Amino acid sequence: MKYVGKKINRLDGPDKVTGAGTFSSDMTAPGMLYGKILRSPHPHAKVIGVDTAEAEKLPGVKAVIHRGNVSQNSFNSAAPMYTTVPYLKPVLDQNIFSEKVRFVGDEVAAVAADSEKIALAACKLIKVEYEVLPAVFDIKEAMADGAPDIHDPKLTPEGKNIVADIIHLPPGPPSDAIDEEFKNADVIIEEEFKINIVKQCQMENMAALASVSQGGKITVHSTTQTPHPTKAILAKVFGVPASKIRVTNPPYVGGGFGVRIGLSAKAEVMAIALSMATKKPVRVIYTREEDFIATDTRHGAIVKVKLGAKKDGSFVALDLKGYTNTGAYCTFGAELPGVLGAMNLAIYNIPSIRYYGHSVYTNCTTGGAMRGFGNPQGNFALERVVDMMAVKLGIDARKLREKNIMKAGEPWFLPYPCLSSELAECINKCADSIGWENRGSLNEEAGHLKRGLGMAVGTHVSNGWPFCVDYDNAYVTIQSDGSVNLAVGCCDMGTGISTSLPQICAEVLGINWEDITFTFADTDATPFTIGNHASRGAYAQGLAVKAAADDAKKQLMDFAAGVFKVATENLIIEDSVIKPADAAGEAVSIVDPITLPGAIEEADAAPVPPPVDHEMTKLSDSSGPKTGISLEGLVYYAHIRNKQFIGIGRIIPSNAPPWHCCAAEVEVDTDLGTIQVIKMAAAHDVGTAINPKIVEGQIEGGVVQGIGFALNEEILYKPNGEQAHKSFSSYMVPTAEDIPEIETFIVESYDESGPFGAKGVGECGIVCPASAIANAVANALDIDIKELPMTAERIHELISQTGS
Amino acid sequence: MEKIMVNFTLNNESVDVSCEPDKMLVDVLRENLNLTGTKIGCREGECGACTVIMDGKTVTSCLLPVAKVAGRTIQTIEGVATKEGLHPIQDAFIEKGALQCGFCTPGVIMSVKALLDQNTSPDKDELREAIGGNVCRCTGYLKIEDAINHAAEEMRGTCVKDGGE
Repeated sequence: MKYVGKKINRLDGPDKVTGAGTFSSDMTAPGMLYGKILRSPHPHAKVIGVDTAEAEKLPGVKAVIHRGNVSQNSFNSAAPMYTTVPYLKPVLDQNIFSEKVRFVGDEVAAVAADSEKIALAACKLIKVEYEVLPAVFDIKEAMADGAPDIHDPKLTPEGKNIVADIIHLPPGPPSDAIDEEFKNADVIIEEEFKINIVKQCQMENMAALASVSQGGKITVHSTTQTPHPTKAILAKVFGVPASKIRVTNPPYVGGGFGVRIGLSAKAEVMAIALSMATKKPVRVIYTREEDFIATDTRHGAIVKVKLGAKKDGSFVALDLKGYTNTGAYCTFGAELPGVLGAMNLAIYNIPSIRYYGHSVYTNCTTGGAMRGFGNPQGNFALERVVDMMAVKLGIDARKLREKNIMKAGEPWFLPYPCLSSELAECINKCADSIGWENRGSLNEEAGHLKRGLGMAVGTHVSNGWPFCVDYDNAYVTIQSDGSVNLAVGCCDMGTGISTSLPQICAEVLGINWEDITFTFADTDATPFTIGNHASRGAYAQGLAVKAAADDAKKQLMDFAAGVFKVATENLIIEDSVIKPADAAGEAVSIVDPITLPGAIEEADAAPVPPPVDHEMTKLSDSSGPKTGISLEGLVYYAHIRNKQFIGIGRIIPSNAPPWHCCAAEVEVDTDLGTIQVIKMAAAHDVGTAINPKIVEGQIEGGVVQGIGFALNEEILYKPNGEQAHKSFSSYMVPTAEDIPEIETFIVESYDESGPFGAKGVGECGIVCPASAIANAVANALDIDIKELPMTAERIHELISQTGS
Repeated sequence: MEKIMVNFTLNNESVDVSCEPDKMLVDVLRENLNLTGTKIGCREGECGACTVIMDGKTVTSCLLPVAKVAGRTIQTIEGVATKEGLHPIQDAFIEKGALQCGFCTPGVIMSVKALLDQNTSPDKDELREAIGGNVCRCTGYLKIEDAINHAAEEMRGTCVKDGGE
């Protein structure tokens, strides 16, 4: 293949290294005003009254909005508003401004003014009367009798503060058959794990620039990962037809990691509401503190694992339970526990499996989507238990995994087949890289520095189905000069999709690389796509692009066959030259079809030209160079005959499991409790890597995010409900000075369901690293790790407790 | 606050800006001078997205009142490439895949440039220290390091070719 599988440089590179690439926060508009939001200081309170009189008097203030003067339509700021599939129902528990505030940072009012400074000053002049209510932050406390109801109990019919429906897997009525299976186990391990609330920390804060025309058309430049669903959500929020709303990225999005699937928190909503109130363009950019306190976090979780195994190591039963902290509002709280369960029931082939899970409302910042979507939380718990099982059975942790992992073609409970898996080879690669054979012999008796090795394995999805709606469209337009526009309706938030998709398109069409241009998301100019989440870009959008390119190519080649007077299958296109199939790889002499006898006369007879008998000779004459037509020549020839080639791809994807293994070497200072990661190895089966350079970048970035997740990233709450971590200096993401040696491997497989055999990539990088590090720490110290992050304080306490 | 006139050298050209003296340099660049390549990630000097070079040293322009820039020489991401083409650092970032979302990239490149302008043979610690104040949440920094080493090598080669040290 010429483009697929090649380390082609990113098409967005030159824009991004020169500062020329524009992001939502760079956008301005004539007459633009600046919006600022007044947020609640209380974690739970009724809003009795909002007095805006003083704020409105401040010179430069153009509008103050609050619950009394904006749309009160209920919505869900995340994509489930629009992509939830039965039997789940969308949970619409948000308003622009609610009658109650439910976390510190909840929106109470907003101001549009001539400058950010004035808007901010005006926010401080708004007087709000609150009736403070009791608040709850802990998952178990929130489910207990007597806990405050965060929402109307009508929204939580399954139990106290339980969000939406309780999820049972495998699908179908819950069964107790697994209890019988556990009786066949020689060893049973049952443990409970606690997983930290962490933050995406994408580099660009939430931003939206909205303008409302006199005719009512709403245009929004936004940081969303999913412009088309965002358009649909905004239509419901404001009660206007979706066709009146245009959402576009400008074109770049400064990272996402799930935080803006659907709306960019409430940036779009506030910008539009303020623009409606002022009849001027309004830009809203969140501060970093607002990003920390008022945009979705990863769900903190409690995960319970019960695993039964035979003495020989074969797993017989796995019972998982997941309780996720969705905070103040649902966003993804209904779907996410399902992914937590499904992905962690799918790693191993176990005769009896069961999952029970749901989210819980608390007065924390809303928990939503973050890279991995519930999977890393479950993976940490399950992979810890697998290591505990290995210790108890006296079987090497690697061998125990190899004995039980799911293999390609084996039946499983998910509604799509497991067509491919190179997980076994991923395990080999990581074990070799980390020096697995040395495990257990790294430490001398004495000394306060202890080394350990750990491993974890996992799987994920390549799109959102069956957890939510999932389909895509793409247009491929061959211009009358032979160059190509590819329009998909997606953003490139850094994943490289605006390079990978053109690679697929150029591969199918057989065109020159420099002739393809990618049209970024603009809901007015690109066809519908669900957007970029669920590791779906290369896989699902890739399928749509391939279908569109196949369609355009068929039209093109059928037309060329008429010109050549041969069957379509006897023609190929290479480097934008259409030529006989038997001239593959050969130079041909190029004939410009416009010079063929009768070509001009024929065109003159437009709009419906009669067929003309061209002398397209020596197509396969062996005596000299074979003849071909340049794409440019052919499409121009077609153009003057009133014909253009536009390919349309419309696909409903199946799904496919990417697989991954991660291994870690750590050194723990037993005096201090500090953990130094010495080395990480990560091996991923992503099917065909469309662009290996981009795939490597995704894996490396995931590993480093995983190190932060494992060791120190955490959002804690003060007793008054305030977030204790709301800046980079308190939250501390990994920097260049924190990273260990990292070795990554792409272990290719070919999945029949994906474009050119590709599977999902983006989220996979963060599923296993924290689990592997935790297993390495447990190995180093011979202690049980049951909570993330493994801060020095926690590890020191564990060491003190066990006396190790 | 009353506006003042501030003169400084920006990307080799003299500029005069009329603004409040406490307006931060990043806002002057982005709003008064329409140079939006310099990004704002935190406004607290903690992420490095707003990094520019002042008199050869990196500064976080979100914490630098423009009054303090009077008479100084500022270089931003817009001044790195020339009409002839990209700077070797920029080429290396593209070639090595050292960028993803691109929002931290201008700041990272300015930190790298400040380093390599002084020292085209940085060791691993010097290199990591130079970009230690630039948060990148996408790449995991490996490909950035790769790009810096590649650019340093290119720049050493250029120095030799031009008869430099």
